[in-house]
Amino acid sequence: MQHLEELKQQIKDKLPELDVVVGWEQGFDPLRATPLFMRKPEDVDRLIWNPLCVHNLATYLTGLKGKKVGVVVKGCDSRSVIQLLQEKLISRDDVTVFGLPCTGVVSIRKINRQLGSLDYVEDVELSEDSITVTSNGQKHAFGLADVAADKCGRCQYHSALLSDAFVGEPLTDQAEDDYADVKAFEEQSEEDKMNHWLDVMDRCVRCYACRNACPMCVCRDHCVAQSRDPHWMTQEDSVQNKWLFQMIHTMHLAGRCTECGECERSCPVSIPLLLLRRKMNKEINELFDYKAGTLIDGKPPLMSFKVEEENINERGW
Amino acid sequence: MADKFVATNELGSWLAALSDQYRTLVPRREGDAVVFQPFEESRPVELDARPTKSPKEAVFPQCEALLTFAYNKNPETPGRVEVAVTEKMGGAPTVVVGGRPCDASGFFTFDRVYDSERVKDLNYLHRREQTLFVSLVCEKPATTCFCNWVGGGPASANGSDALMIPVDGGYVLESLTDSGGKLLEGLSDASDVQTKQAQSVKSAAEEAMDKAPDLSAAQEQLLAHFDDAEFWEEQSGKCISCGTCTYLCPTCYCFNITDEQFGHEGVRLRTWDNCMSSLFTMEASGHNPRPTKAHRLKNRVGHKFSYYPSLHGGNIACCGCGRCIKSCPASVDIRAIVLNAIATPVSQPEG
Amino acid sequence: MSAVDAAELRIVGFLCNWCSYGGADTAGVGRFQQPTDLRIIRVPCSGRIDPLFVVKSLINGADGVLVSGCHPRDCHYSEGNFYARRRLEVLKRFLPILGIDERRFEYTWVSASEGQKWKTVVSKFTERIHELGPAPKINESMVAQAKALAARAV
Repeated sequence: MQHLEELKQQIKDKLPELDVVVGWEQGFDPLRATPLFMRKPEDVDRLIWNPLCVHNLATYLTGLKGKKVGVVVKGCDSRSVIQLLQEKLISRDDVTVFGLPCTGVVSIRKINRQLGSLDYVEDVELSEDSITVTSNGQKHAFGLADVAADKCGRCQYHSALLSDAFVGEPLTDQAEDDYADVKAFEEQSEEDKMNHWLDVMDRCVRCYACRNACPMCVCRDHCVAQSRDPHWMTQEDSVQNKWLFQMIHTMHLAGRCTECGECERSCPVSIPLLLLRRKMNKEINELFDYKAGTLIDGKPPLMSFKVEEENINERGW
Repeated sequence: MADKFVATNELGSWLAALSDQYRTLVPRREGDAVVFQPFEESRPVELDARPTKSPKEAVFPQCEALLTFAYNKNPETPGRVEVAVTEKMGGAPTVVVGGRPCDASGFFTFDRVYDSERVKDLNYLHRREQTLFVSLVCEKPATTCFCNWVGGGPASANGSDALMIPVDGGYVLESLTDSGGKLLEGLSDASDVQTKQAQSVKSAAEEAMDKAPDLSAAQEQLLAHFDDAEFWEEQSGKCISCGTCTYLCPTCYCFNITDEQFGHEGVRLRTWDNCMSSLFTMEASGHNPRPTKAHRLKNRVGHKFSYYPSLHGGNIACCGCGRCIKSCPASVDIRAIVLNAIATPVSQPEG
Repeated sequence: MSAVDAAELRIVGFLCNWCSYGGADTAGVGRFQQPTDLRIIRVPCSGRIDPLFVVKSLINGADGVLVSGCHPRDCHYSEGNFYARRRLEVLKRFLPILGIDERRFEYTWVSASEGQKWKTVVSKFTERIHELGPAPKINESMVAQAKALAARAV
């Protein structure tokens, strides 16, 4: 892609001042990309940039605190970087952002649903609007729009919002996000909604991939999910404990989640986690007119208050 | 016992018959994942796609109550507290149908540790003795399969009680043990054509495997890289320290014991533990000998391909199923790490 | 766990020490009659309430949860209830997606002298919870049922 060479050059130019630059390279098969940590110019030659680059690399930033780090970001990823800066979890001086415009990434799961299995991928060809996967000797062509991640269909931030080096032309056409999926889900009865969560949370293995993949989850060793004091959850693998963990995770992300979707993508047993976080973001947006990760000097709504709240009705009790 | 045959449309009734005598676990689609659940006639069995989770839960549950306890006080002697302890031993006759040969062979890694001269884990053994495996032969390897690197194979009989080989119209079933034979008793014999087809499916499966690289140097090389911090930092850069690889792995056997108390009663639980978590080696003093993910990944790969083999006769604690690669959110590839360790010369300390 | 009188439901009340707990005390001193379903847990300030207290209570068997604090602008610690107001409003709006009826959770502001108001709050809330009935108790059989329903839907 025409941006790739320019991106590689920009990274090589800045590499001497940086300890490491995080990007993507080809993974274990033609369909998977994987994060790449570039330390020497030869590493940069392995960089790729295409709709398979699904990972939100901002998640590595807090772990690399104290080092001079470069990170390659799409629009959604840049929101995570901004949110981390807003909460002062990383230092602006230590981060060099290489921003890119993005027209969407592929959802590996959607391709899995079409093919039945991703075990036999032999080749992948990408064009501007399609992806052709050769699996088990057969070619399967999909329009990129059909297998794009759900978040891409409603993306309002195609171009990285923050960058030290922006490669390519910023894209301006925005989609609308009216949280239709959240509203549709909520129309069900209370019983149906609860049954849905009881069913999907049953297969949770409490691997915490959702938590660790989230760029905003920085508590690491001190996460309440694993602590004995406070003792929020027991070690029993009951649905209550596993569901409570998701509620904790969502509440702790209120006003901080940038909807990158890594939580859902990382889940090995495909639990539809993003819905809970989108519901939270919908409410935060309605109550406080706030979207996480859009303004560097914004203040997360649950870390501040107004004496007179515009949208909260002082209960008429 | 002669080979048996079950037609695809008869599979349900055979499994239903098994369910009368055994807890019968089969792979089933839930969402985009394939997990092992007790067989239900109304829900289809998934035998084409590889299972996401391993069947190790059948023998080694994610959470097991080892004992329950209750504190009692007699009002006559208030200075004394009595603790009533009730030991628990779970398990029922179980058969896992539809796991793969790698999944069944994973339990040998457990056995060497849980059923040794010095130590016998009774809870584990109670389940292990009662669980049978009917393993589905893999016709073709996935891009993440590497069972033949570690002594396994797509049609390996090692660890299973019966093999299930896909042929036209159904499956040929080959009995490997007496208990396995009992499972197949009600089925009709396979025809010669079917038996021959089964043999050729098995050979074709073996041929389809890429040649395994020589891992004999892994044991020594991984240990040689123990102090090479830079090597392990590079290998572990993209790891996010979750537990996906550990919990899906058929050979990961570490556990944690926790007492959960509710008022005067409580339960002692054994749960899966995860060496990729930063809390795995957190000591009561606050010191952590494996503070970074580089340390922890070094331990995981080192344990499987070096330390365990050196303690257990050269046997690698990995069955090559590839789940860790496939399900890892960052696509960490354990094959690449082992090969890198073998290929990278050990950096000599300066001076 | 102790048995609950069959006519009573389990309602948990988190009251701030300075205003609402005082208000409940005033109601007691004034000998106002109110239903006894609600059991009080005293916290120093409504700002101490982690929304997870509410959530954990609800999924572990509480039929209703009430949080009560000082009136905004009157917090004993100046700002605690401003944060609480935001958090609890967000929580109230979050509950529906979990399948938990958001009417089972309520937050109010009751000051130390408002004994009558406290009686009204408790009576009305208890009545509302009784109308809603006991909350679904999550246990293994409920999970199994949920899974069976999900399977049929596929």
